[in-house]
Amino acid sequence: MTTSTPEHTLEVKGLHAEVAGKEILKGVSLTLKSGELSALMGPNGSGKSTLAYALMGHPKYKVTAGTVTLDGKDLLKLSVDHRARAGLFLGFQYPQEVSGLSLSKFLWTAYMQRHTAENADANGFDADLKRNLGYLGMDDALLKRSLNEGFSGGEKKRVEVLQMATLKPLFAILDEPDSGLDIDAVRSVGETVAKLHRPDAGILLITHYQRILKYVKPDKVFVMVDGAIALSGGRELAEQLEAKGYDWVRLGIAEAA
Amino acid sequence: MAQGATDVTPLDYTRYDFKNPETYRLRIAKGLTREVVEQISDFKKEPDWMREYRLRAYDHFVQRPMPDWGPSLAEIDFDSYTYYANPLLEGETKRSWDDLPADIKNTFDKLGIPKAEREFFGGVGAQYDSGTVYHKIREDLTAKGILFTDTDSAVKEYPDIVRKYFGKIVPYNDNKFSALNSAVWSGGSFVYVPPGVDAGIPLQAYFRINARNVGQFERTLIIGDKGSKVHYIEGCLPAGEEVLVGDRLTPIEGIETGQSVLNSDGQETTVEKTMVRPFDGELIDITPVSVGNAFQLTPEHPVLCVRRSRVTTSLRPNRALSDIDPAKLLSTPPEFVPAGELQPGDFIHYPINRTERDDPTLGEDELTVLGYYLSEGCVQMINGCEAVTFTFHIDETEYVDELSRSIRAITGKTPWTNRQPAKHAVVVGVYSKPLYALCLEHGGKYADQKRLSKSVMDLPPEKQRVLLETYYNGDGNVYERFGTVHRALTVSRQLAFQLQELQARQGIFATINVREPFQETMEDGRQVSHKRAYTVYYQVGKRAEAVRRAGDAFLVPVRKVSRTPYHGNVYNFHVAGQNNTYLVKGFSVHNCTAPIYSTDSLHAAVVEVVAEPYSKVRYTTVQNWSKNVYNLVTKRAVAYENALVEWVDGNMGSKITMKYPSVYLRGRGARADILSVAFASQGQIIDSGAKAVHSAPDTSSKIIAKSIAIRGGQTSYRGLLHVAPGATGVKAAVRCDALLPDELGRSDTYPYNEIHEEDATITHEAVVGKIGEEQIFYLMSRGLNESDAIHLILMGFLAEFAKELPVDYALELNRLIQLEMTGAVG
Repeated sequence: MTTSTPEHTLEVKGLHAEVAGKEILKGVSLTLKSGELSALMGPNGSGKSTLAYALMGHPKYKVTAGTVTLDGKDLLKLSVDHRARAGLFLGFQYPQEVSGLSLSKFLWTAYMQRHTAENADANGFDADLKRNLGYLGMDDALLKRSLNEGFSGGEKKRVEVLQMATLKPLFAILDEPDSGLDIDAVRSVGETVAKLHRPDAGILLITHYQRILKYVKPDKVFVMVDGAIALSGGRELAEQLEAKGYDWVRLGIAEAA
Repeated sequence: MAQGATDVTPLDYTRYDFKNPETYRLRIAKGLTREVVEQISDFKKEPDWMREYRLRAYDHFVQRPMPDWGPSLAEIDFDSYTYYANPLLEGETKRSWDDLPADIKNTFDKLGIPKAEREFFGGVGAQYDSGTVYHKIREDLTAKGILFTDTDSAVKEYPDIVRKYFGKIVPYNDNKFSALNSAVWSGGSFVYVPPGVDAGIPLQAYFRINARNVGQFERTLIIGDKGSKVHYIEGCLPAGEEVLVGDRLTPIEGIETGQSVLNSDGQETTVEKTMVRPFDGELIDITPVSVGNAFQLTPEHPVLCVRRSRVTTSLRPNRALSDIDPAKLLSTPPEFVPAGELQPGDFIHYPINRTERDDPTLGEDELTVLGYYLSEGCVQMINGCEAVTFTFHIDETEYVDELSRSIRAITGKTPWTNRQPAKHAVVVGVYSKPLYALCLEHGGKYADQKRLSKSVMDLPPEKQRVLLETYYNGDGNVYERFGTVHRALTVSRQLAFQLQELQARQGIFATINVREPFQETMEDGRQVSHKRAYTVYYQVGKRAEAVRRAGDAFLVPVRKVSRTPYHGNVYNFHVAGQNNTYLVKGFSVHNCTAPIYSTDSLHAAVVEVVAEPYSKVRYTTVQNWSKNVYNLVTKRAVAYENALVEWVDGNMGSKITMKYPSVYLRGRGARADILSVAFASQGQIIDSGAKAVHSAPDTSSKIIAKSIAIRGGQTSYRGLLHVAPGATGVKAAVRCDALLPDELGRSDTYPYNEIHEEDATITHEAVVGKIGEEQIFYLMSRGLNESDAIHLILMGFLAEFAKELPVDYALELNRLIQLEMTGAVG
């Protein structure tokens, strides 16, 4: 038995990206390591979701400069599906619906993209699924329904977390898993993310508010303002932000300039 | 103009210009006249009332104009079709598949119909052009009083029932094509379920248009008597051929652009373009002396070969194998010959795969273990640990020792041995993760799915010899019969072909024979079923049945050439490089693009369903005609008090389809449930829909129409909802969903409502959707490639339909859509 956990690194360097000709990311640099749970905070419009989409490779988000590597491998050269297979995951803020495609079939199909008929473990898959549904306080009945169709806002967010737990990516970016949720749901999602966090995986949780961080307890906090990382630090940074607001960061940038 | 009717066989072939005259015992020359109608009636020796009915219908057909709405039918030339062609005589319908002419039986075998009959259906009918060639119902259903036969027989055997309903639901003058059907109908199914009887298991009919320009006009009549229940299914499934892609055989329709395949030089090349086209004619079955390598091609497809006539000695040409002049054979360069011109005795070209890539991780010990693993081994989890076990005969100590040595060398562990004298067996096993992984990766799992990895297939031949030797120790046997014969038996088809390829690299052409599955009764009375198995054998010091080595290929004599009528898609692809060849079951063929037939066929059926009070009748159609068929069908049901009629109607094939399954709700509380599905791709127009005519109170109807139009295909929903005066308390719901995955397809909706009662509850929804970029991105972010993502979305869209289908049809639907998607992306 090996005891050491493999170390993985996702490195973003000087990333510039534009949407419809407008530059949104203006040189983002950050490093994620396996075992770490990081939070990316920032005011509306600062480019947090753009970063998430650009990393995953959304066709509308055009990277104009910079590099993104996973264990040294150039992710920007890969298509969306190959980035996913390399170990990147994006939990969507607004997940898509697919009518007639049951959640269980979808999860299995996605799982099989990383497995072959020979190394797939259907029993392990079922057991994981059952346990994770339990963590998320979800009913099995959801598995038979069409993917995200008619799901409540809370159900959609939980299903994103469920997908992360099923696919076991090396790095997961969760884009505002707390938005639109009531306080109990925020707690449940936050606690589950913390619980599912594996030592061999890194998570970047994007949020506008500090409240989910109470349950997630991030190791690192990045603050994004106007398309670049303005501040980074430990968990205490989130608390300072809560107390002082984003203007404090903006002011800081202004003073530094 | 029609040339008049012909008589019973033998026919003057030249006069009627068709290529496979022996296929038809009865046939009328093309064109439609009053005489043709009379001739059909004569063949059938019908009662007068039917003959008169046909003639009235014919007169109506002649004066009735073409429909002035819907897709254009202007290209239909009624004189270009043959209206009657029957491979059997009238009344010769068989009750056993074995009684059918071999080519027809073959066709239905390939389509899996007899197998499906055994597994899923209570009765099956099969129609081949105009003739019902097979019709059978299970005895327990007959005992319940259920009647299931072809409609021609029913006219004679059950005249009272037939006369009561025939033409009453769909009158001949309903439309031009119901008139045509009423005039020239032949075949179709007749079903009668007595009061209170539940058939319990579906009845199925399979329709096939075989020859080009032949029309099919079956007539189906289904009667569910009071309180009865029945499900009837009609449809078709096409089939494919396999090509060598280096390490394994792949069905040709599964080949994708960019994939690597072998060419006639035994070198890998890349697929540049894949092609699919409808084909309607005869395929050539080529059986070399190695029977397991038999394959099928279209007649014009060039095959690399040496004609026997060019290499015989001048003295006694074309007689026996000894007449071959070996020097001539080896010096004659192979040429491309159309498959249709191949003769038994010609030599076809089996190249030796020359790819060589050494893999240093596969040494002598690994290959020894793999050889035994293929024949005797099994990977499994024992007590939660990865283990590999091997079962030998108790006397095979020499092999056990050899294997144990190699296992020790690889794993450092000494394997356990477990002697089981009662079973005459000894089991060798070892717990080892690396060995488990090695066997799984390079040997596969489960006896019938064992196969070698690409790395093993590409190893230098001297290394492969180690594996072959140990494999033959395990699965093989050696016996003396005019020399030493080495023979191995495996249930893995894949492995059999791989062994043949490996032997070829050793300079030996091994022959593959197929042992069909069989049941055996053991001494103790147990029944043991044996799976289909493949023997791979060769004889040392003797060439297998005159197979010759010519440089880097073997020249293998053709044993048999036969023809099978085929109607469906055929596949081909274009490969990179100068060589322009690929291998079908190991043999070289040219990658030509054959001409596409522009001729078409006509299918005009009439289906009448009667649902007496409290009965339930469900009618499922899976229509996958080839893309040159005009499919113009009238389907109508009458539902009486509290009866339920369900139409599940899927249309994927055809050039133009016009079909609107209808239910006339004539009794209080009657219900109609119609699910209509259309999938139209390039060159197809599917104009389908539904009609619900409410003429009694408290009746209800639900219509769901789903359509996908892609690559320039067109779909239309055309629906009628009619509520007659006096039909109060009606509930009706219509939902039309159309999906346009690309910018090229087109979908239209034409709903007509005629509502004469104010209290009717009517809902109508129509949605046209596209597959959004965001939806695809979402699925791709989970690791699916683009075409798989679109495929999942399409299958999701059709899920309501797919779940109503028997499993074979659902798989076929899945495959069909995947195929269309591959085309769309490439």
